[in-house]
Amino acid sequence: MLTATGRRVRSAVTVTIVVLTLLGTFVGDDDDFPFGPFKMYAGRDDPNGLVPDTRVEAVDSSGRLRVVDESSTGLRRAEIEGQAERFRAQPELLAALATAHARLRPDEPRFVEIRVVESLFRLQDSRPTGEQREQVLARWQAP
Amino acid sequence: MAGAVTTLTTDRPARPGLRWPYSPAPLGRIAVLRVVVYLFVPVDVLLTTAWVAGHAAVPGELYVPLRIGRLLPLPTPGPWVEVLQVVLVLAALVAALAAVRDRHPRLTGWLVAVLYLEWMVVAMSYGKVDHDRFAFLVALFVLPSVGRASLRSRDRTEAAGWALSMIALAVVATYTLAAVAKIRFGGWGWVDGATLTRAVVRRNTPLSEPLLEVPVVLRGAAYALMLLELFVAPLLLVAWRDPRVTWGLAGLFLGFHLMTFSMVTIIFLPHCVALLAFLPLEKLAVARWAGRRRKAAGGARGALNANTGHPAGERHAC
Repeated sequence: MLTATGRRVRSAVTVTIVVLTLLGTFVGDDDDFPFGPFKMYAGRDDPNGLVPDTRVEAVDSSGRLRVVDESSTGLRRAEIEGQAERFRAQPELLAALATAHARLRPDEPRFVEIRVVESLFRLQDSRPTGEQREQVLARWQAP
Repeated sequence: MAGAVTTLTTDRPARPGLRWPYSPAPLGRIAVLRVVVYLFVPVDVLLTTAWVAGHAAVPGELYVPLRIGRLLPLPTPGPWVEVLQVVLVLAALVAALAAVRDRHPRLTGWLVAVLYLEWMVVAMSYGKVDHDRFAFLVALFVLPSVGRASLRSRDRTEAAGWALSMIALAVVATYTLAAVAKIRFGGWGWVDGATLTRAVVRRNTPLSEPLLEVPVVLRGAAYALMLLELFVAPLLLVAWRDPRVTWGLAGLFLGFHLMTFSMVTIIFLPHCVALLAFLPLEKLAVARWAGRRRKAAGGARGALNANTGHPAGERHAC
């Protein structure tokens, strides 16, 4: 049997976790991790809308254009997308990706230009139409 | 706090009912679950979330601290994250060993829990928050609360019952509250949206790509997912008279995660580990122990440690 204190403590912890989790779900946001809403894939996409897919491209000091994977900059695609608005407003923040790349891949030529590119795939009745366009969300060039 | 041992009760309730937070549960299951959970931590930290260590190289201006990072004096990630990775792996291995030997479960367990939470804060503070490991985090924090639990134990305690109930609640919440989030953010029309199409367009596999041509399948899958999360997941909280129902439900959800992985390469691996809390893991350890005991009784005298009476091969019990 649990002691009275043991039971009280556990009951208090239970109520706290349940309340925080419910608050997170109904009024919280990602910021409330680990009690934020369970919102992966919770957004609704328009069956006749556009599906965005973001990538990072870089030009290195040898002039080569590269599609940058997450292990080269330390940021995942979803993280680039999560900060896309910041990059759009302050493209100079992309310099941080060049710095991260230089730290993670010291043997590779430095990035002198970085672009965040969004591909948009058109859907029609939830089916890709094959129509696709691209837009550069943010661009930074080494000074 | 560990709770005195209660009398042995049958695994099978007289009639189906809700699992009660303090219904005594097997200590053996806690012991096995600890070993599995703590051995999974290095797998997660070195393989499935190895990308977190990449944040060590990212300059601080791209760090977007979460509320927990602003409330607590957590440092901006930097090179120390790589040290955290090593310390966390070592702490988890020590905790796994401690679980096998039934020593210092609180100290070793809560150390892993706190370190892993910080690993997750570093993971989620760069613009993307995942919700795939809530139950695993809960498991890390509640498992030590049980106190000592031997792999050989056949006892049931209220402390074990509470810990397993919390993990069970967290597993079910991950599904059911995900459905609530879909209604909150996507609206009632979420099921008729193209969210799964979007997922397949962005992360398709040879298995899922053909489905883009048959939207009715993905729309059906959206309805099925909503029903599964909202109505089937809570059935895990019922203490079924026939344990095969629980096995079936746990198998259903493990299968669901495997299918999701095959379609969009997303797997809730830590969550799957937490799902094991529903299964009678204690039988695994007890069966192994009983086998060893028979073997020992059959003449292998040297198998018992002279000082403790514990089997020399105890660490392999799970």
